[in-house]
Amino acid sequence: MPELRGGQLAVILCAADAEALDALVAPGHGARTLRTCSDEVLVVAAPDVADTVAREVRDRIAALDPDALVLDVTDGWSAWSLIGADAAHAFSYLSALPVPDPGGFTQGDVARIGATVLGGDDAVTILVPAYWRQHVRERAIRDANAIEVRP
Amino acid sequence: MATLRLDGRRIEVQDGDTIGAAAFRAGVRTFSRSLKSHRRRGLYCGTGDCANCLVTVDGMPGARACVTEARDGMRVTRETGWPSADRDTLAIMDRMHWATPVGFYYKVFSRPRWLWPLAERVIRRATGTGTLPPTEHVTATPTRFLRVDTLVIGGGVAGLAAAAAATGRVAVAEGGSIGAAAIDPEARAAIDRLAVQARVAGVEILERHAAIGIYEGPSVPLLGPDELVEVEASRVIVATGAIEAHGVFPGNDLPGIWLGRGAARVAAAGVKIGDRAIVVANTDAGERIGAALRAAGAHVTVVTGRVLEARGRTQVSSVTVLTPQGRRAYACDALVLSLGWAPRDSLLRMSPDPEVVGAGEVVLPGCSLTAAEDSGRAAARGESVEARLAEPWPVLEHEGYVCVCEDVRVHDLEAAWEEGWTSSEILKRYTTATMGPCQAALCSRHLAAFTQEKGAVPGATGRTTARPPLRAPRLEELIGGVHEQAERRTALHERHHALGARMDHSGLWLRPGTYGEFREEIRAVRQRVSVMDVSTLGKFLVGGRDARALLDWTFPLDVASVAPGRARYLLALDEAGYVMDDGLLAALRDGTFFLTSTSGGADRMEAWLRNWIDRLDLHAHLVNQTAQLGAINVAGPHARDLLAALSGDDLSREAIPYPGHGEIEVAGVPCRALAVGFVGELSYELHHPRGRSVELWDALLDAGRRWDIRPHGLDALDVLRLEKGHVYLAQDTMPDDHPTKLGLDWAVAMRKPDFVGKRALERMAQLPLERSLVGLRFDGSPQRGHPLTVDGAIVGRITSCTESEAVGGSIGLGWVRAVDGVFPAQLRAGELTATVVPTPFYDPGGERLRA
Repeated sequence: MPELRGGQLAVILCAADAEALDALVAPGHGARTLRTCSDEVLVVAAPDVADTVAREVRDRIAALDPDALVLDVTDGWSAWSLIGADAAHAFSYLSALPVPDPGGFTQGDVARIGATVLGGDDAVTILVPAYWRQHVRERAIRDANAIEVRP
Repeated sequence: MATLRLDGRRIEVQDGDTIGAAAFRAGVRTFSRSLKSHRRRGLYCGTGDCANCLVTVDGMPGARACVTEARDGMRVTRETGWPSADRDTLAIMDRMHWATPVGFYYKVFSRPRWLWPLAERVIRRATGTGTLPPTEHVTATPTRFLRVDTLVIGGGVAGLAAAAAATGRVAVAEGGSIGAAAIDPEARAAIDRLAVQARVAGVEILERHAAIGIYEGPSVPLLGPDELVEVEASRVIVATGAIEAHGVFPGNDLPGIWLGRGAARVAAAGVKIGDRAIVVANTDAGERIGAALRAAGAHVTVVTGRVLEARGRTQVSSVTVLTPQGRRAYACDALVLSLGWAPRDSLLRMSPDPEVVGAGEVVLPGCSLTAAEDSGRAAARGESVEARLAEPWPVLEHEGYVCVCEDVRVHDLEAAWEEGWTSSEILKRYTTATMGPCQAALCSRHLAAFTQEKGAVPGATGRTTARPPLRAPRLEELIGGVHEQAERRTALHERHHALGARMDHSGLWLRPGTYGEFREEIRAVRQRVSVMDVSTLGKFLVGGRDARALLDWTFPLDVASVAPGRARYLLALDEAGYVMDDGLLAALRDGTFFLTSTSGGADRMEAWLRNWIDRLDLHAHLVNQTAQLGAINVAGPHARDLLAALSGDDLSREAIPYPGHGEIEVAGVPCRALAVGFVGELSYELHHPRGRSVELWDALLDAGRRWDIRPHGLDALDVLRLEKGHVYLAQDTMPDDHPTKLGLDWAVAMRKPDFVGKRALERMAQLPLERSLVGLRFDGSPQRGHPLTVDGAIVGRITSCTESEAVGGSIGLGWVRAVDGVFPAQLRAGELTATVVPTPFYDPGGERLRA
């Protein structure tokens, strides 16, 4: 059975012109840059590099679109990871979405709510608005038979 | 020896037995009684296609005995017949066809009117198939999603060949076990070989997973033993095979009459289906079937021809066949039919999608194993096989049961035709043929053949539409993954619970209704200080050089008049000038704007703004901060005192004007404090990072003890806002309300050059106002929704009402229609008098909230 872990992820949102985001150089520090729509990017990073990543994004986008909005929206998101060799199978009890390849992401309906899904090695991370944190946890345990592991 | 109980009787079960095989071996011949005439029905198809052998297994009705694996300890009951299926007193109905002609229930028991409900109860008691188990709780079947490139339905030769040859991610759904239905050793060997190939190719084989429909997508729900699988497939290959055609002749429904493959399958399980069996075969399967029956010990005669009649009392005892040599009568106790092939094509016919194709016998009925395998591979390559018509087209003798599920005879179709029901679809509806639990598996061709034979006009002779579900799903399966209540919770959810709050559903959110005594919560707001979790409000940040242009166009307020640091009430109108939502707009000092909307309107507000950004090609950026920010409203005469106890920032009206905002720290938590007035007291909405909501909430409650603070919920809010005359959108409004009707003209800057809805408002301004939302005072306690009348005529209704301590009396809001162009000043609400009064009821000058 897969493990369910509440994720510790920082999320930086950058809203800017599509052309500016096209030209934005992704920050380093192991952050993942998710182009969620034409005028929005979410940068997902470890919490300890969040400030650095936010600063890099802010500096880089300012040169491309001076009106861009860059916000640390970590509080608005909740991450749950299904971990284990059967994580993809467990995920199929929650969503019709194909599991993204490691490093990739997709967006759509997970447990009947809108979610962003990050692929990983033997792991699937489900990123949802924070007010649905409990809903995803309950569904993962009930329907995907995940065992919650608390850090 | 394993045993099961059938109607209380102990029956031995051998390895591999189905319930039907075990029961038949134990001498059971009547498995059910027919729906209307209560005729005996025995094992017929033997393959799960017909509904003759529906039994209740361990309390669950609707199991097909012929394909349900028998297990030790099972409790099986036959579902029809009273007092039993063997001795059914209602069998007298078979002699009363004159009283129950086709469509009789459309014609009788309609006068007097009280008769039909009575008759309906009697009819329902006398018919039906099984009884639902008495249960109070149904647990939804776990649902999983499966996305594949190719889904193959059917795990026979063609299906497995298709699966093994298909590329990408492939799954096979087989209703039973792979190979279990194959009686022919050659077929069994081919299935075993292809199953290995498919598994080696990485195909996911789902045994005991029955496809019950094909929906747009194509999307296919599979009912598994303990799960519902929703398959999204790029391609679907239907390889469900074929059965022998249903024979229609006098006596065709007698127990002891079988379809060929099912009979052979039962015989292969070691069950002798009769001592003397007649096989009437017009296919090449006759000898194979005969050999299987002989191997089980039966004396078998295989003949070719047309069955004219079968006779018997409790089961078949003789058959008359028109053979090439002439009319022949045979004594028998088993009659096995292989008159032609009937593809199991219901699933294939459910979808016109070109990505859904057939393979094997479903399109090539009666084809060889090699041809089936080839067609499977062709389907995997994307080649569709033209369906070959099942031959011979069914022959209907002058009598016999066309639809054995619904007891519809040839005679009934003739009668319906004479009454004018002259197309297969209409005949279906009038006679209910094809509408039984087998879902037309046996008789849809026969109905079409009948209309063709009768010379129906073109277009009226087709087969009836195939629709999901193919098999009756259980309630647990129907609700699998469907009835989902995705509750949004604020960060303070656990705190509300700890304080004993009654949590209410408010749209998608769970919110505190009250923490105990809502009147005391109201007093806290009016006299001391209180807090409310308003994190559910929609919250947006709008930036970019066109942000002001966006807001100026999208909303009717004069954005230019909102100076940095100030805030304004905001209405959202649609193109027709109708009120969609409301909220607050705050101009931030960095040139961006912070916007709030109602809790329920946040998603729509975001979509609305994004739509206009795109349509007008504006350089504006929108961030939905609803999830990111928590919000706590601190309200009451001591609100500023409470914040001052936790903040070193300037809280004066100069720093945070009304209506306006300021960036402050409260208990170390950075907050955007909006000075608002929804509850009519000095109030600050503290918008802050959601992750720090608990910290802030605890600090406020702790520091507020000095003023006997208590939180308030939705119940108190409903009274507080009503005392101020504020509307609840949707509760107090209607979809076609423009601001004038709501008395909100002051929130619309008609002097602006343009905004969404302006032209509609200009046009509506030329028209007389027909109805208006007004404030009301009552001389008693009315009910919300109560009609408002003038001289007995209804002219409106109450949308909100409450007893108000602060105002002293019963107050409310309500819609009132103009009478002869004049709005009445006094109305009746039942026995009560309602007087129209101006709003707000409480603190009309607004001194308290500006304090």
